[in-house]
Amino acid sequence: MDIRKIILISLLAVLLAGCSKDAFRYYQNDSDEVAAQAETIIRQDKRIKSAAVVFHDEKLLAGIRVETFSRFKKKKVAAELEKKLEEQYPDMDVTVSADSKILYETNKLIDKGKEDELGKGIDRLKLLLKEET
Amino acid sequence: MDKEQYSTIEQEISPKPSIVKNVFKAFITGGTICLVGQFVALFYITFFDFTERTASNPTVATLVFFSMLLTGFGIYKKIGQFGGAGGAVPITGFGNAVISSAIEHRTEGYVLGVGGNIFKLAGSVILWGVFSAFAVALIKTILVKMGVVSW
Repeated sequence: MDIRKIILISLLAVLLAGCSKDAFRYYQNDSDEVAAQAETIIRQDKRIKSAAVVFHDEKLLAGIRVETFSRFKKKKVAAELEKKLEEQYPDMDVTVSADSKILYETNKLIDKGKEDELGKGIDRLKLLLKEET
Repeated sequence: MDKEQYSTIEQEISPKPSIVKNVFKAFITGGTICLVGQFVALFYITFFDFTERTASNPTVATLVFFSMLLTGFGIYKKIGQFGGAGGAVPITGFGNAVISSAIEHRTEGYVLGVGGNIFKLAGSVILWGVFSAFAVALIKTILVKMGVVSW
């Protein structure tokens, strides 16, 4: 295969990779109803492209990805969502972040699906979010 | 020949730089460097405990290191010739400035040659970078204290 074909195919692959939409994922222990409420709240906001939410022991951690041109105010989007979720779950400790590290790690936690590692993972990510430099 | 004559002759003789072409080249070069930087940042986010926010410092350091290596091997020179400002404005231009002045003054010895001249070009970047960071931080501190903006 000559080099032009390889370049063309890899360019197409990169272009098409942008089309995949991973919308809403969650992990939670008891009923699915709780997560469904969060899903409707997140889906209402058109600026949010995808989200991964983990529920564990009164703790809620949500990693979100924001649409490209809303990325300039992604902190604001995350803060608004955090407020809405706090209203929905008043007795839960809600953390929302638009940082891609958080989305990546929450997806990882969901994929692993191990109950005993969740609490530790959430605490670790919250510590990471506090770091400034 | 007086000043005006000279400048008209100079204008006639010197070749016209094609601005559109140069801007396009600079855009491609600078964009490619930033794409590499994005991949480096993604690497730090994926494999280490860096968030999007904290990954910027190691990314900058890595890019400077890359450009230092490329300068040493003589590749960055070609990138600079092709891309112009696209190769000089990103942080990689800083690494290039440090190493190229070190290479230039190598023959004068390690202490007074390399040591004394390595920051000859980059020194102004450091000085004015620190100073402008101080000035901006001062303004922001005042604004926060006044309650106009928040951190």
